[in-house]
Amino acid sequence: MILQIAVGLPFAVATLLAATGRRLPRIAIDAIATATVATLSVLLGLVLAGGDRTVWLGGWGEGVGISLVADAVATGLALTVTAVALCALVVSWRYFNEVQAIFHTLVLLFTGAMCAFVLTGDLFDAFVFFELMSVVAYALTGYQSEEPDTVHGALNFGVVNSLGAYLTLTGIALVYARTGQLGFVSIGRHLHGHDALVTVSFALICTGFLVKAAAVPFHFWLADAHAVAPTPVCMLFSGVMVELGVYAVARTYLTSFADAIPAEPVRVSLIAFGSAAALLGGVMCVLQRHIKRLLAYSTISHVGLLLVGVGLLHEDALAGAAWYLIGHAGVKAGLFVGAGALLNRFETVDEHDLHGRGRSMYVAGLIFLLGGLGLAGLPPSGTWAGKALIEEAGGHSILALGVTASALTAGAVLRVWLRVFRGAGPPHPGTTQHHDAETEFKLSRLPWTMLAPGVLLVLAGLLLGLLPGVVIGRAVEPFTHLPGPAPAPWTATSIASGVVAVLLAFGVAALGIRGRIPRVDLLHRLHSGHIGDYVAWLVAGVTVFGLLLLA
Amino acid sequence: MSRRARLLVLAFGGCGLALLFALAAFRLPDFGGTSHPYGQRTLPNAIAHHTPNVISSINFDQRAFDTLGEELILMASALAAVLILRTVRAEQEDAAGKHAYGPAQVFDALRITGYALLPVTIMTGVYIVAHGYLSPGGGFQGGVVLGSAIHLVYLSGDYPALARIRPIPMFEAGEALAAGAFVALALAFAGQVTAMNAVVGLEVGSAVVLTLAKFFEQALLVRKDT
Repeated sequence: MILQIAVGLPFAVATLLAATGRRLPRIAIDAIATATVATLSVLLGLVLAGGDRTVWLGGWGEGVGISLVADAVATGLALTVTAVALCALVVSWRYFNEVQAIFHTLVLLFTGAMCAFVLTGDLFDAFVFFELMSVVAYALTGYQSEEPDTVHGALNFGVVNSLGAYLTLTGIALVYARTGQLGFVSIGRHLHGHDALVTVSFALICTGFLVKAAAVPFHFWLADAHAVAPTPVCMLFSGVMVELGVYAVARTYLTSFADAIPAEPVRVSLIAFGSAAALLGGVMCVLQRHIKRLLAYSTISHVGLLLVGVGLLHEDALAGAAWYLIGHAGVKAGLFVGAGALLNRFETVDEHDLHGRGRSMYVAGLIFLLGGLGLAGLPPSGTWAGKALIEEAGGHSILALGVTASALTAGAVLRVWLRVFRGAGPPHPGTTQHHDAETEFKLSRLPWTMLAPGVLLVLAGLLLGLLPGVVIGRAVEPFTHLPGPAPAPWTATSIASGVVAVLLAFGVAALGIRGRIPRVDLLHRLHSGHIGDYVAWLVAGVTVFGLLLLA
Repeated sequence: MSRRARLLVLAFGGCGLALLFALAAFRLPDFGGTSHPYGQRTLPNAIAHHTPNVISSINFDQRAFDTLGEELILMASALAAVLILRTVRAEQEDAAGKHAYGPAQVFDALRITGYALLPVTIMTGVYIVAHGYLSPGGGFQGGVVLGSAIHLVYLSGDYPALARIRPIPMFEAGEALAAGAFVALALAFAGQVTAMNAVVGLEVGSAVVLTLAKFFEQALLVRKDT
């Protein structure tokens, strides 16, 4: 019963908040929402401690019913979601003008949808909650709807993600036509051998998830959406929502299609999409001046690495991916808190505009410094431990990819730290574009609630590598159906690769400080903001994916 | 990207997607075949529970959790409409002074038809909601009929009357509470088909009214500007 309560709680409270939001004072809305998510995390913690379990809703059983499957990976992921959501809610305590209680209602619905999405054992049900997650995400992106940019970003996000979701639904229909099953496990049990239908179905199902995971060339929406979404929403997007796409690909393949579709083409295509995202995201990240956009591209890069970790289809790499995911969630959500602090003080997130202006903001500066080190993968961060396992399973080329992506994205963040908080480098003219400060009125100083969650998140990310590897190994065993890995990240190579990445990141930052941020016309034209371009790349991406799988 | 480049990429993707889809479609089970695995599993289950309507048994019992998700999607969309289509300050200032929605010029025949159809349509809506338990129909369909019924008042040319009979806060609360009741029913007492149909009807009807109300506000404001 505890699992049903955990799944239902955020939805129930969300509906009550929506019903009474006009009457409740703001402090009550904050308290109710925060207490709900805190309770949810306790419930999920109890589920995690109680071991793996499967619950059939309504007692219907396999064949017709829907199950909730709380294995350690799914529950751990849901717990990560609630931890980030809790921090996001605390950050939004002083957050700007609430329209009734809609912001908090939507955040609760978003949290509940993500938890239900990871915990369900049914492919169609996963799709339903995937859609709920998306609808809420579009609304949250468009929260400041008086700005034309916001509407543009939210619309691009909505169109591209809905298109991906249609393809996923088509794929589900195809596999259902073959097997008559909707449960992940039941589908796997009824798929024997592969043919065009099964392969195309797998490609289509994964497309929607890869759009969410922002794999290249499905990634265009992400930076547009992050640039305009409110800070607490960005924390949830970059920290957990995007990563759920990778989780869904892993679950779909390993649980349902592993016996039907040979591993080699899946490995090749996922590694290709992931590496492209890791490299392109890294390069685009270095080329940004808009700090939220910069962080958004770094998310694309890191989620690309995560996809490579899954794509290797190796038990150690999967354990690494799980580890990487939680480490990255902490670091990236924390960095967005830092960006939100800058936005609130100076009403701009342009790096050139902010030159030297953050000198007195010690805490925000600390978040950027530690966050940069976390992205680079300084031991013993969670990102470092996860990356070490992925690199060890992947060999030299993946090692090079991991070091490059970390050095580029961390370099960009450290450059921001040097320029904004240390006043390094010569000043450059900034933009005149100003943003909303995100609080109802200008606060005389930044309240602790808008900084402390960031510090906690970044620190958690930096220390998660200290988890014993055996815990992660045991967690992924039932998920992968592969013999339990015994991940041990503490090797000389991995420590060396972490340190090298940190040094390279400082190199990238130093180079960036000396010159202006270059404009690479080809890449800027590619990321045009034109929705037609995004759709064209999406269908082209599906074609490439399908052909790679069929070849 | 230039228009030409975009079209080239789109053409490549479109052709490829069509090819993939064709390849898959040829492997689908033949039309009119005898193998219906899902039907064969779900029918005996539904009948064992003495349900008069198998579709309702699937919607509100066997797969109630899906329906819960769909309900919440509807609620989230209505909230999104309230949030994103809220009239911002600039728009309110633009509209100040010329903000009068008087009775429009409408033929008497249309007006009378509208008023005459209103009770009939509401009755039909309630009937469809209530009868979903036994026959085709149910909360979703009936809710849409109910939600549209109220707008007959607008069609009859009277926006102020429409605004009077649909106080937005009440519909917001009704929608949210209905969704909340569904959460409780779906997770704790799945299978209460009649009750679930009723709350779905309430939720869908309110959501339709709410969403349309927001679009009306926007459309009427914009029309004033021109």
